[in-house]
Amino acid sequence: MKTAQTIYENGNHKWLALVRDPSRPGYLIDTNEYLVAVGDDAILLDPGGAEVFPAVFSALSAEFDPRQLGKLFASHQDPDIISSLSLWLEFNPAIKCHISWLWTSFVPHFGGNDETFVAIPDAGTDILVGGQRLQAVPAHYLHSSGNFNLYDPKAKILFSGDIGAALLPPEADGLFVEDFDRHIRHAEAFHRRWMGSDRAKRDWCSRVSAMDIDMLCPQHGAIYRGEDVKRFIDWFANLEVGVLKY
Amino acid sequence: MSALSLPAASRQNAGQELRRIVRINEEIKKVVTTAFKINLMAMNAIFLAKRAGQSALGFGVLSNELRRFAMDLQRQMETLRIATTDSVVVVTGLVKQTRVERIFQRTLAVSKGQGRRMVEACLRARNDRYSGDESGGVTALNRRLSQMISDTAQLVELGSVLARSAKIEAAYGGTFSTSLMQVSSDFEQTISDIQKSLDTLTKHQSQEFAG
Repeated sequence: MKTAQTIYENGNHKWLALVRDPSRPGYLIDTNEYLVAVGDDAILLDPGGAEVFPAVFSALSAEFDPRQLGKLFASHQDPDIISSLSLWLEFNPAIKCHISWLWTSFVPHFGGNDETFVAIPDAGTDILVGGQRLQAVPAHYLHSSGNFNLYDPKAKILFSGDIGAALLPPEADGLFVEDFDRHIRHAEAFHRRWMGSDRAKRDWCSRVSAMDIDMLCPQHGAIYRGEDVKRFIDWFANLEVGVLKY
Repeated sequence: MSALSLPAASRQNAGQELRRIVRINEEIKKVVTTAFKINLMAMNAIFLAKRAGQSALGFGVLSNELRRFAMDLQRQMETLRIATTDSVVVVTGLVKQTRVERIFQRTLAVSKGQGRRMVEACLRARNDRYSGDESGGVTALNRRLSQMISDTAQLVELGSVLARSAKIEAAYGGTFSTSLMQVSSDFEQTISDIQKSLDTLTKHQSQEFAG
């Protein structure tokens, strides 16, 4: 089962990473889910696919009262991101799912109705969680055409969705990046193939370089901390993407 | 069955039920095609009887009846097709609920404390919501489908009698007797094919649905 690990805590403001499920079947890609709790309000970032719902729910409820979960954030529309939506709605039919406007009529195929979705405009928006303002940061075409990161300016954490993702072998699946050069090898093929636009990549690198980030948290793989955040942005800026060679 | 187990065993067999409905639908399509063929054959038989004149009056009457039979059969098969479509909607809902149920059972197995209590409450609410509701819906649809297949079998039996009578009337067809005999034999063979399809339909329909 997944475990919930606290990656940030300051008073009633907390970030939990729900990670690493050793019992996960090999045919399902591993995913990281993050919970941002501020007081008695919380938002779950990229809640995951339906098949990993038991692991996510049990890890979350071990550390947090799931009745307080009223918001979901979906970086984009993929099944490993949000196909568990209908299951979360079983617990709280009033739950709100924040997602790019582009996907608000596609994702209801996974569940929900016109009351469920809060459309994020292309330029991004703020999402209020327990009085804390989180920022939906545009990351379009990286990889999805309607794609957002979520930045917490107080915690200085950027949830980066698929950006920064790495497909780690079991012997190197620590929660944090410890050796950047060794780690980034597991991220390279993923970024070359999945990130479709060099221009969008440069825009994103320029945007996030100006932000004060202590942790960059991807949806797959390990979390970048401290200097590794800048190392990653520089590495990504120089990577050739959107070119398939076969 | 515990309060938190599946509300109806039928959900476990929803996939099997869906496959059974697909088989029934394929058989219905065969009968519809054949009924259309009988309609055309009956129209040809009516023209042939007219050409044969006085000696084929009885054959002409039976040809008209066979055409009416073909149209009734087409209508009956359309009703059956709608009934199977309704079944697909209900059973697809069951398949979806089965998957959700399975995921919640897995969640229950790994949850503790408040989370576990929430899953239990959710499963109880689902049981109340769906208990008997969907499986009852499938049972009612199945009963309706069985009744329709039985009605169709009676209609086809009538068609079979008409085809046999047409064969007898063909013997009185004078110089047209051979042609009329050929046409009535074709009717008999085609209606026999429909009966075989209906037997298959009855077999698929009678396969016990665990719900």
